[in-house]
Amino acid sequence: MKTNQKKAWLFLAPTIIFVTLFSIYPILRAFGMSLQKGSLIDLSWAGFSNYQYLFHDPEFWLAIKNTILYAVISVPVGLAISIMLAWIIFSKVKHKAFFETTFFMPYVTSTIAIGIVFRYIFNGDYGMLNFVLRSLHLPAPNWIDDPAMSLTTIIIFGIWTSLAFNIVILMGALRNIDPNFYTIAEMYGASSKDKFWRITMPELVPTIAFLLTMNVIGAFKIYTSVYALFNGQAGVGNSATTAVFYIYNKFQIVGTPGVAMVATVILFLIILLATFLQRKMMKKIGEN
Amino acid sequence: MDDNKFVEVKNLRKVYDNGHEAIKDVSFSVKRGDLVCLLGPSGCGKTTILNILAGLLNPSAGDILFDGKSVVKTAPKDRHIGYVFQNYALYPHMTVLQNVMFPLVVGKHKKSKKEAEQIARKYMELTQITDLAEQKPGNLSGGQQQRVAIARALVQEPQILLMDEPLSNLDARLRLKIREEIRSLVKSVGITTLFVTHDQEEALSIGDKIILFNDGLIQQDDLGQNFYLEPNNYFVANFVGNPVIDNFKVTKIADELRASDFTIKLVDLDQSRFKREMPDGEYTLSVRPENIVPQEDGIITTQVDDVELIGRERILKFTHDNVQARSLVNLESPLRRGDQIKLGLRLDRIFLFTPEGERVY
Repeated sequence: MKTNQKKAWLFLAPTIIFVTLFSIYPILRAFGMSLQKGSLIDLSWAGFSNYQYLFHDPEFWLAIKNTILYAVISVPVGLAISIMLAWIIFSKVKHKAFFETTFFMPYVTSTIAIGIVFRYIFNGDYGMLNFVLRSLHLPAPNWIDDPAMSLTTIIIFGIWTSLAFNIVILMGALRNIDPNFYTIAEMYGASSKDKFWRITMPELVPTIAFLLTMNVIGAFKIYTSVYALFNGQAGVGNSATTAVFYIYNKFQIVGTPGVAMVATVILFLIILLATFLQRKMMKKIGEN
Repeated sequence: MDDNKFVEVKNLRKVYDNGHEAIKDVSFSVKRGDLVCLLGPSGCGKTTILNILAGLLNPSAGDILFDGKSVVKTAPKDRHIGYVFQNYALYPHMTVLQNVMFPLVVGKHKKSKKEAEQIARKYMELTQITDLAEQKPGNLSGGQQQRVAIARALVQEPQILLMDEPLSNLDARLRLKIREEIRSLVKSVGITTLFVTHDQEEALSIGDKIILFNDGLIQQDDLGQNFYLEPNNYFVANFVGNPVIDNFKVTKIADELRASDFTIKLVDLDQSRFKREMPDGEYTLSVRPENIVPQEDGIITTQVDDVELIGRERILKFTHDNVQARSLVNLESPLRRGDQIKLGLRLDRIFLFTPEGERVY
């Protein structure tokens, strides 16, 4: 028993060391630094002054507001579209493999590269999107250069990029549903609506719960797509700043690591809370 | 309306897209309220027939009539059938009650939740699963899942119940119990049932009649005991019966049947059992092991290779013409391995088949 336990620790050691070193320690260090001031090489105790500064910084509140809005809109909408597309590909389309590959492409392409392409598509004057909108006599806003539009642009971009991963995972889950479930339902006269809501959706709940958690965590950490879409800026006049953008800015550009770490701690708590709530919610849905 | 032809299949043929002819030319009928077993080895076409009856497959040719009306062009949902899959296909996210209610709360003719629950409860009582109402299928044993599947198949009050190897996922002991339950259940409901199985014992024990398939054709459509006593052909004689039938090569020359070491005079056979003329040539003499027994004046002299105990009887194994054969004797028989024996045939119980498998005696 004793020797077994020793061996167990030995086998777990690599993982424990790496997790401690690269996950647990940084969190603790971030919390420590959030109570310190000065530059990285010259830190001193600051108490809760960084927290006071942060709570009075309108830019921080904008970043948090943008991040939450982004997560709350892009995740459910993206997931709903993913479910719809996956279901259509699964049940209606003949060459599934082709469409699956096509939809998966964005996942293996770098966000920066996609962002650059989208800069062209979103361009107010010569962009493809506005060309289409104009030809349909719809309003053609200035997606990139209008501060009022920048969050919308990022949300659209975020939804689009989230489809790839979601669809591939959902297709896998759909394939795992016993086809006899549908055969038997049809025999009882179930409509397509019955089949989707009474069989497909409940069978997808565990997968949706997984994707929701992954997507929400990903959404709170949004940074790359903002960087790519607005050429390294957080939109015109920082209009599209996000939590991670704020952290990066305070840490690297402004040089106040203490403030950056306060924001990190708060973002960490928000993600923790969101994940916790989601798990509770999905558990409840799963039970019904 | 003809109750003797409640289900009628006429010249059914099915060729799959890959060119495989699963069903060649099949016609049969089922009496209202009967429990009929479709029996056969795997790949014989029995499940294909069930799926065509259910409307899951379209026949390539032929017709199916339920209660005198052709249903070939009718959608599965309008055929008034219940179907039980081999793996039950219970919905894992629903409770037992929700599963049983499912057929009643979907589609165009859906009932109110209250009414659906009432009907579901009635059938759950019949299948004795009332206690399991709030359980999920994942927590049930194979036998319990089976009952849920049957209750679900019955709630729409179909006229015909189709079951595809419903017992093959259960262990041997449970299978015996459930097959009796299935029989008494469908009989108490009075529903016409077609039951697909590859297990002859299962078919013999529960079927009002059995239709034996092989190679896409009906080999025999008969009462259970006739498969044993009066097999239509060589395949039937060899498929049905445990231990399997013994086969001896014989040659008919003039008025005698000659095997390598015994001769039977045709005049000693029961003349009324001859099915047709018997020209000289090669034949197979088949005899059930209980009709080849040790006796003083037996015509086969041989040696016991081995003795196998099967409950109330023993099987004496011996070799004849390099082929293993069996004789079924009483448990008390003193014969042991290595004993020299003489075996006699009950000539009124033997069968003679042509090399093509056709029965002549």
